[in-house]
Amino acid sequence: MSSAVLELRGVTKLYDDFRAVDDLSLSVPAGCIYGFLGPNGAGKTTTIRMILGILKPTSGSISVLGAPSAMGVRARIGYLPEEKGLYKKMRAWSVIAYFGTLKGMGRAAAKRRAFELLERYGLKDFATARTEALSKGMGQKVQVLASIAHDPEFVILDEPFSGLDPVNQGVMEEIVMDLRRRGRTVLFSTHVMQHAERLCDRIVVIAKGRALFDGTVGAARRLIPRRVRLATADDPSPLRALPSVAALHAVGGGQWEVELREGTDPQAVLRACFETPVRLRSFDAAEPSLHDVFVKLVGSGAREASFR
Amino acid sequence: MRCAWLVAWREFVENVKTKGFWLGICLFPAILVFAGAVPLFLARKAVPTRHFVLVDFTGRYGSVIRGELALQRAEELGNALKTHARRGPYSEPFSYYIRTTDAKGVAWHGGELDLAAWKTAAGTNWLRVPGFTPPRPSLLEVSLPTELARIADPAELGRRLRPWFGGERTLPTADGKLFAAVVIPPGYGPGSTNAVEFWCGNQADTELRDLVQRRLGEEFRRSEYRRVGLDPAVVARIDALRAPVVALDPSKATGEERVGLPDLLRQWAPSFFVYLLWVAIFAVSQMLLNSVIEEKSNRIIEVLLSSVTPGELMMGKLAGIAAVGVVMMAAWIGSLVGAAFFQTAHVAGSLAPDSPMATLPADVLALVHTTWLLPAFAFYFAMGFLLYAGVFLTIGSLCNTLKEAQNFMGPLMLVLMVPLFLMPFIPRDPNGPIATFLSWIPWYTPFVMMNRITAHPPARDVVGTGLLLAGFTALVLWGCGRVFRMAILRTGQPPRLVELLRWLRGR
Repeated sequence: MSSAVLELRGVTKLYDDFRAVDDLSLSVPAGCIYGFLGPNGAGKTTTIRMILGILKPTSGSISVLGAPSAMGVRARIGYLPEEKGLYKKMRAWSVIAYFGTLKGMGRAAAKRRAFELLERYGLKDFATARTEALSKGMGQKVQVLASIAHDPEFVILDEPFSGLDPVNQGVMEEIVMDLRRRGRTVLFSTHVMQHAERLCDRIVVIAKGRALFDGTVGAARRLIPRRVRLATADDPSPLRALPSVAALHAVGGGQWEVELREGTDPQAVLRACFETPVRLRSFDAAEPSLHDVFVKLVGSGAREASFR
Repeated sequence: MRCAWLVAWREFVENVKTKGFWLGICLFPAILVFAGAVPLFLARKAVPTRHFVLVDFTGRYGSVIRGELALQRAEELGNALKTHARRGPYSEPFSYYIRTTDAKGVAWHGGELDLAAWKTAAGTNWLRVPGFTPPRPSLLEVSLPTELARIADPAELGRRLRPWFGGERTLPTADGKLFAAVVIPPGYGPGSTNAVEFWCGNQADTELRDLVQRRLGEEFRRSEYRRVGLDPAVVARIDALRAPVVALDPSKATGEERVGLPDLLRQWAPSFFVYLLWVAIFAVSQMLLNSVIEEKSNRIIEVLLSSVTPGELMMGKLAGIAAVGVVMMAAWIGSLVGAAFFQTAHVAGSLAPDSPMATLPADVLALVHTTWLLPAFAFYFAMGFLLYAGVFLTIGSLCNTLKEAQNFMGPLMLVLMVPLFLMPFIPRDPNGPIATFLSWIPWYTPFVMMNRITAHPPARDVVGTGLLLAGFTALVLWGCGRVFRMAILRTGQPPRLVELLRWLRGR
């Protein structure tokens, strides 16, 4: 098997004149958690639907688990869509078992597996309840379990955390981590950067259907200069002379932001403050967050898309 | 195919588990039973004995009405006693008068009572038979309250009876109610301008009024016959003359040309199957529509489509819901056949052997066995179902809510109503120009051809319309499949006609 579970090459999807996805290429290595990030309307769901073979790309090629179409390997793929719903009159276990059988499991094995998963993720008491009687969070959990009942090699989760309370978000993270521990590949889309930051090995950021970044979370962080935020009543202008400092901006209220050159150590700035001296009230040398990266990458575009 | 089968199985199981399904299964036989049994039951049990007073100021016509009521009552009792006699053997001397064989010497379960002979033998005790309870009379005359006995003015009498009608005064009977008062005014007779006054709180119950009117009318005519020198008995005999007509079918074998119940069944049974087909298509298509809209509005469709192709999904749904329809049909037809067997085993024996009802079950079974009715029904059900269900399914895929779907349903329902309106006309001229023309319109072929099938339609019509229907159904399903595939993931407004056409062209 190729080390890439999923490969997109120059994939484009047009709806009349509107380019939902524009020449998108990406590669998801086996065994990793791959974040599919982008603002609303960026083309994430359309891309996922093309990956799954639900929609056909206008141009470009997609290879999933080595097959040219997901339909050929659908039994090895698990999918949780963005908009979640269940058959209201069916029981929790039977929904999970039904989707398991659609993915190739035998009836008895699917039923056994449904009860096993419900027990493992704290829904044992609701196994025989009709899904209409479940809370939103429970229903969503049942749907996630339905998407992984057949123990797929590749799991696609579209906005798996949306609508969940913090406790259930934790459970969802646990499910994703479990999948990775068992060597499964997970691709999940989100626009909540904290989840991506905690879970993802690699991310792709898309906006207006185009990939803006594809790589590790670390590489993404390096996309924007490292910053140090300090507070002082003194004038910190002498810091500008330091070789590690690229720029210095006043933020207001005695606060300053020091932009560092790539590969430099924030300790050099701290040392210079003591030597100069610049008397510090606070010194914050946190790494740039994925949120900062995301805002920098898609910033104004995202705003446009969300009001489109 | 496995996935289509799984989708079909889920559709079937989930629909079979609903209350609506079981209601549908039970409702049809229940309606049949109710339609047959309830009016009889109500006629027998629900109408209480109604008490009335009869005041005759002429001294002539009261006895005529009383005589008619006595005759009617005697007939009612005689019929009840005959029914009682059919149920089993009795000890002497009653059983002596029950003939246990018919003219051909065939034994019945019960027997026919020789009522006249029994009446003569038993005299006034003719109703005293062990186990027999005479039915209560439906109409019973009571005496006029004594304080009204001397009133000589009919209008005054009517007014004075009001408290008994209103319930302020009661009669010395079980319920105390006065149902009606029949007042025959002085000087009443043929040619008089007076009318019998019929006082009654319930003018919808016309049994007594009709009896009075009919019997007095007869009496007037009789007296008129006498006046002009005619013997009323001769007139009655002449009146009873009937012109015998026998219906013969030249297509039947020599000696068997007489048209009987089996022939009428053959002519009308297809209409029954057409109704079944219509109800089944309507019921299951609704299920289909609901099922697609549920999946679409609950967003289950996307998960399904990651596991099955739209074609498999559509095929599974059609097959699953068709199976529901087949079970429903089987239950309905089964209940009919069951009722026929029940009739044969338990009821027919107590019927007179020459009663058409006695041979009805056998005739129904023979009809089903010996004609193309069932295979034709199977074919036209399958085609009609696929044709309409495909369209319903597509409508479901185009809409997000049932409300939206109703806009599309209107025109389709109109199309579906046409066969219902045509149903009474087609059996009358099953191979006429209208029936033939409609047979070639694929939307109506299942209904019209089903209606014609026992009337020996030309082979050209049977084969031609069958092939056209099959081809048209395949074409519609193909188009529905294309639209379904595009529409199923669509949210928001249903597509415009231009978009639909583009989808049909596969773009």
